[in-house]
Amino acid sequence: MSDQTKTWLGSRLPIAHNIGNQLSRKPLAANQPYLAALGMLITATLLFLVLSGVVLSAYYVAAEHRAFQSIQLIMRDVNDGWLIRSFHATGTTMLFAAVYLAIFRALVTGSYRLPGELVWSLKLVFLLLMLLVGYLGYAMQDSAVSYWSLHGVVQTGAGLASFPANIFNWVFGGPAGPGTLTRLAVMHGLLTFIALGVLALHYFAKQAITPPAEKTVPLHPYYTSHHFVAAGVYVLLFAVLVFFAPHLGENPLNQAPANPLLVPAVTTPPWYLLPATALTHALPGTNGGIIAFIAAFAVLFGMPWLDRSAPGARPGFLYKLLVVVLALDVIALCLVAAAGPSTINAVLTIVFIGWYFLHFLVLTPLATARELN
Amino acid sequence: MADLEVGAEINEVETLVRRDFLKILTVSAGAVALGATVWPFINALNPTADDLAIANPIIEVGAIAPNSAVRVMWNGQPIYIRKLTPQQIADNLAVVASSLPDPADFTSRVKPGYESFVVVVGLNTGIPCELLGNSPTDARGPVDGWTCPCDGSIYDPLGRVRSGPAPNNLAIPRFSFLNATQIQLG
Repeated sequence: MSDQTKTWLGSRLPIAHNIGNQLSRKPLAANQPYLAALGMLITATLLFLVLSGVVLSAYYVAAEHRAFQSIQLIMRDVNDGWLIRSFHATGTTMLFAAVYLAIFRALVTGSYRLPGELVWSLKLVFLLLMLLVGYLGYAMQDSAVSYWSLHGVVQTGAGLASFPANIFNWVFGGPAGPGTLTRLAVMHGLLTFIALGVLALHYFAKQAITPPAEKTVPLHPYYTSHHFVAAGVYVLLFAVLVFFAPHLGENPLNQAPANPLLVPAVTTPPWYLLPATALTHALPGTNGGIIAFIAAFAVLFGMPWLDRSAPGARPGFLYKLLVVVLALDVIALCLVAAAGPSTINAVLTIVFIGWYFLHFLVLTPLATARELN
Repeated sequence: MADLEVGAEINEVETLVRRDFLKILTVSAGAVALGATVWPFINALNPTADDLAIANPIIEVGAIAPNSAVRVMWNGQPIYIRKLTPQQIADNLAVVASSLPDPADFTSRVKPGYESFVVVVGLNTGIPCELLGNSPTDARGPVDGWTCPCDGSIYDPLGRVRSGPAPNNLAIPRFSFLNATQIQLG
């Protein structure tokens, strides 16, 4: 941009000028790790998903029986449609990987501790929104497995005694009626934009609590080049998955169209929905699954207060070890959920979910109480 | 000491040249990568393969009887393909183009070498109504062409408007003759 243009823009639209200038000169703490780029990568991935989603929506038909066909059209007849869909599917995988990693990192580094409770809560709200958006995208395919999953959700919701039937009809357009997929598609897009808003809130909330660093460097060129390296690795992994494993973590049976008369033999959802699936299978009955899901998120939201460490204390070795064990526990829980129902898996599910709650409600307060400033 | 200073200057210049080179290299590589990523998104908005497959239909015209027309739906519009009689060709060659509401001479309405075939969009250019006159028994008007059942406009066998309210001649779709008996639309 020429100096003349800059002066003109600065006088007509001061905010754009100031943001550009202040952002590039923004002082940031030196020696940040590469994982500090996660927030930027998550935002970029979500925008990329919006872009590919817009192109897909030019061809996707949100109607019973026709949705699956329209996806086949995208895969076969739309120019580079297979690539755009692969971008969208793999982008989802990358996004969830980054979000789960960011939440794991926040737990390990203790960034949820006061005064980080709002930043932490916004992370969880973002995860909840992404789970919802991811599930809606999965259900929108109207294929063999996702059809029955959606069917189950609608039946569950309709069967909840405490749930007003009206609300459910408003959301789903009746018991999986002809209008259901249209509503799911609208919510899929709408919640994405709400999630972008949550990301913005997260960014500003984080600005408010970041303490002044002893040694700072300006964002440009130090962190632009630093994040460029992180983004390079991320994009490389993205590209490898797009071209060599576009259906990573998906149930192969989901490649068939929905059949209202045939439940598929294996009903595993995509990998990123496995934690939620495992929770909903944890306790018997419809309400049990919902209670487990709410409780699992409740303890996460409660972390800033379950943590008994002294103000300003850094997480100790024992606590960090417990978080790593927790991550392994959640992975094991997902593997059990992916393996499908059996007697032994029912027991294992209870054990792993039991450890999850034990970690948050007992081990975390005990381990962190020993951490002094 | 002067030598050392000169050497230091050269090093500085070399560093700058190298830095410029790296900058140009990085920016160009980034631009190429960005272009390669953006292209599929734009290309996906091009017509799909199934649309293109039906976009250029081949029509058999060898069996059309002289003095009648066939109607083909293409791109959501009725396409009329009419075979003229020698009498109609002679009559219309005799018409002075400048005397018509929308002047057009004979050669502009047909393909050279295939003067007996007229291919037009069969929609009136005034009120958009589908025209009558494909069969010799239809209402064809005084010049043996087409008439509009909605506003009474009259066209000649070449699709030129003879009397109005329609302002223009019938549109001619994009087409070409593959041989004497086949035409391809589009």
